[in-house]
Amino acid sequence: MTSETLPLTEYAVSARGLTKSYGHDSTRVEALRTVDVAFARSRFTAIMGPSGSGKSTLMHCLAGLDTADAGEIIIGGRDLMTLNDDELTMMRREQIGFVFQSFNLVPTINAKDNILLPLSLAGKSHDREWFNTVIDALGLRDRLSHKPHELSGGQQQRVAVARALLTRPEVVFGDEPTGNLDSRTGAEVLSLMRTSTREMGQTIIMVTHDPAAASYADTVLLMKDGSIVGQLENPTVATVTEALASLAE
Amino acid sequence: MLHVALANIKTYARRYIAVILAVAIGTAFLAATLAVNTSTRATLKNSLGDTYKNADLVAFQDWELAPDDPDFKYTELGLKQVQQIRELPQISTAYGTAFVSGELRTADDGYGVMLQPVSAEQNLGGMELLEGRAPLNSNEIILDDEHAQKMLVSVGDTVGLTGADSATRDVKVVGIQRTSTDPMLSGYALVGMQESAWEKSAGESAQFQNIVIDARDSVPAAQQALAAYLAEHRMIDVSVMTADEKVINDVAMLTDGTDQLTIVLLVFALVALVVTGLVVVNTFNVVIAQRTRELALLRTLGAKRQQIRSSVLIEALVIGVVASLLGVALAVALMAGLIQLVHVMVPSMSYATLALNTTGLVVPVVVGILMTVIAASLPARRAMKLAPLAALRPFDAASVKNRAGKLRIVFGILLTLAGGGLLAWGAIAGSLPIAFGGGLLSFPGILMLASLFVPASVFGIGKLVAGRSVAGKLAALNAVRNPGRTTATATALLIGVTLVSMIMVGGQTAKASLNNSIAGEYPVDLTVSLYERAVNEAKTQDLARELGSLDGIEETSTFLAGSVETKGGDNEGGFSLMGVDPQTFSKVVLDQNIVPEDGQIIRFNTGGEEQPKKLTVGGRELDVKVSSASLFQDLVTKDTLESLKTGDAADEYAGVLIKVAPDLSNSEITALVEQIADVANVESYMVSGGVVENAMFSQVIDVLLAIVSALLAVAVLIALIGVANTLSLSVLERTRENSLLRALGLKKKQLRAMLAQEAVLIGGVAALLGLVLGVVYGLLGAHATLSAIGEMSYEIPWLQLALVLVVSIVAALLASVTPGRRAAKLSPVQGLATE
Repeated sequence: MTSETLPLTEYAVSARGLTKSYGHDSTRVEALRTVDVAFARSRFTAIMGPSGSGKSTLMHCLAGLDTADAGEIIIGGRDLMTLNDDELTMMRREQIGFVFQSFNLVPTINAKDNILLPLSLAGKSHDREWFNTVIDALGLRDRLSHKPHELSGGQQQRVAVARALLTRPEVVFGDEPTGNLDSRTGAEVLSLMRTSTREMGQTIIMVTHDPAAASYADTVLLMKDGSIVGQLENPTVATVTEALASLAE
Repeated sequence: MLHVALANIKTYARRYIAVILAVAIGTAFLAATLAVNTSTRATLKNSLGDTYKNADLVAFQDWELAPDDPDFKYTELGLKQVQQIRELPQISTAYGTAFVSGELRTADDGYGVMLQPVSAEQNLGGMELLEGRAPLNSNEIILDDEHAQKMLVSVGDTVGLTGADSATRDVKVVGIQRTSTDPMLSGYALVGMQESAWEKSAGESAQFQNIVIDARDSVPAAQQALAAYLAEHRMIDVSVMTADEKVINDVAMLTDGTDQLTIVLLVFALVALVVTGLVVVNTFNVVIAQRTRELALLRTLGAKRQQIRSSVLIEALVIGVVASLLGVALAVALMAGLIQLVHVMVPSMSYATLALNTTGLVVPVVVGILMTVIAASLPARRAMKLAPLAALRPFDAASVKNRAGKLRIVFGILLTLAGGGLLAWGAIAGSLPIAFGGGLLSFPGILMLASLFVPASVFGIGKLVAGRSVAGKLAALNAVRNPGRTTATATALLIGVTLVSMIMVGGQTAKASLNNSIAGEYPVDLTVSLYERAVNEAKTQDLARELGSLDGIEETSTFLAGSVETKGGDNEGGFSLMGVDPQTFSKVVLDQNIVPEDGQIIRFNTGGEEQPKKLTVGGRELDVKVSSASLFQDLVTKDTLESLKTGDAADEYAGVLIKVAPDLSNSEITALVEQIADVANVESYMVSGGVVENAMFSQVIDVLLAIVSALLAVAVLIALIGVANTLSLSVLERTRENSLLRALGLKKKQLRAMLAQEAVLIGGVAALLGLVLGVVYGLLGAHATLSAIGEMSYEIPWLQLALVLVVSIVAALLASVTPGRRAAKLSPVQGLATE
């Protein structure tokens, strides 16, 4: 079965039998133990779990930043596990968006060029209307000519979100996107992300350890010791905190 | 802080590899230069000392002791004096060494030889018998090994010997002695004769350079006795030295030239060291920038500014020590290898010695260490000023604004203007020293101003080249994100390229200008003179036709040279004229003005004195025409020459004048000359003319160019290591940024291309700027040196300059390979995790 013949499903991202381990023999750590997971389209999903639960590894593998030992990962009808580095790079360019915890922007170029970077790397021109929609939604119009170091932390993250949304990717991954922000700015960024799933139909998968951040998601997946151990729909800060506490037991 | 510094070096050892390499090469250059000097001296001492190897004392006529009196009679040391010295009871043996030339004839050939008296009782004149015995009577000689082999002479053979007295007698070779390694003797065939026979052969020149003496018991006693003897005979201008002192004295006399060579080499070593210094400054700047948080953390934890600074300087010190020792070891190994090579390739130079003195070893190490520490002190100051808060600063600054100090700019402008003015004045006035001083001032001035134009040029050209490629645009931005670093990296390369291209342009212009002035002086490309051959017009014509059919020869013409009778004037007696055939001559000659008509004489006038309108030679009055181009003789037509009364018929000779194809290379000309000599059956020096001289000058200039370029290549090499260094450190610094780009869709290939473009930008622009500067300096320098000689002809060796640019760019590309691979190897996740 080649990746091209896989049928498009209702899921933006799905993975089956994903395993990954680090180290050798005595130092061996199983970061992912045969994880089966699927993320529905146009949903905002948060992955939570204690440190070392494998949530970051799962996200890195799903995003094609890291390679799993076994299993399959389907995004946009293609199995990431069968792609070489260049094909993976093209996937990241076209199908996947990123918002990292920090150091999201290339420091030498201004906000607008940063937002357009994945498109310029692909040598494509941008859809002007969509660009305007995104930057207005994120309130970045006044900041486009600023260099990253001239922007506040929240503004930098909003630029990163804009960059992720602009290519209309199959999925946007967030790796603790509000980890470096104060709670008010963090809330602002998270609202924007939720809005983009509701109004633009964007699929978002976010890793976080902050129950407040997770409460913005539609669904919360709970991980422990490399496996998915639970799921919460329409989470609140309280239910998330409770679920996390039960994991620790 | 010592343990912090050492831990840093241990942790970041890889970051220091390039800088250690650069410092080691710079130091090795210096050490090798000094080792060349000491080894040359030792080798000379070894070979010169051969003459006095077994002697205690040497007495010689010393000009420095002679009084400043024109009537003073210099002492002549002859056999008589040697015999008197032998009679002194404190002396065991004494013999003289002389330079008396003679000729030795074997059955086949004649050879120039040096005649030397030897006596079996007196150490055989310092010679060492390999075979046979010492000469016992005036009919016996000994000969040195090497020349005996060359002459095919062996013990028992009889040869003819002509002394300085011009008398020839048959002598028998009774022994063979070892050939001396003394460079003042080794070129000559050395003939040892019995003393009385030598004195007779030497005639008036029977004098000694040195008297070599062995003491009977104690050397000081012999020395005293000699002093007394000299005083008694009033030989106040005779010195007595121990053999060792004499060798040192001789070496000093011979090594004046080596010292100059050492000075020249030291200048190149200095250039290499300045370039190395720039690489060191850069490395530490980058390393400190990378460690900002770490250093700031140390400050937060209570490290004093002074402690931060010493920690950086300790690192520099350790690197300086390691690299300098490595460099000196490298130089010693290189020199030892070279001398070993000489021993293997040229067995007769077995006396070549590797000599190292403490100074030659210590100075490079000290210079290397000092250079490293001093170069690192600027970055160390910057590290010291770091605020503790910097540890907490969340963002990596996009670009560093390092404004050049105002003082440096002002100083740079002043130096550039003053130096440029001097340079221009020197060029106009045709004075090399003034122009050289101007260059010496203006170049550092321009380098001080480099921060004003280097980053701007890199960015401008980078944007131009990048076009629409994102990687290209990012490369251009990255190349100037730290202007100070870019400037230092580029400057290091710029220095080398400027000097190389200056030498190339200067050399090319010198070649062209000399060509010009030679062409002006030589109206004919080649002249084949058939001296010592009976004049035969038909045969000469045949030869001219035969030569004319050779490849590379366009036209030929014959001439007849002879002397004519004159009365009165400066040329009373014989007057040399060259008779030419105007029709064919006009085809070979480069300047139609010197084609004579019948009844006309073309006189060559270089002095500029007035010439009379008419001149009477050989009983006929001829019209005078003056030209500055010279065929060494005045020109008339052949018909005119034949109508004149000729002088001595033995002076007459014929020859062929040749015009060669215009685009022959130097080697083709050399080959053509050999071919012509072959066809005409003459020695190749009989074929002369402008193109030969020109080829010779060109070859000399080419060899000089090659040597100087090779020396400067060391500086360029170090600068290129600097480019690789800066780039790999920048890659480390930008790990997260590069990983981000990878995560966002930059392919591995694109990442490598981006780094390659950055390297090529810095290297290429530095080379380009260097070329521009080099061309300007080269043209002005050549004008200053050569404008006095004649009309200048400016030529720029585009091909060579393009080659320099290409080499710089390719080398920069190569320099980007390792950093590029390391950057591409890192997975985006790993990179983003790096703090």
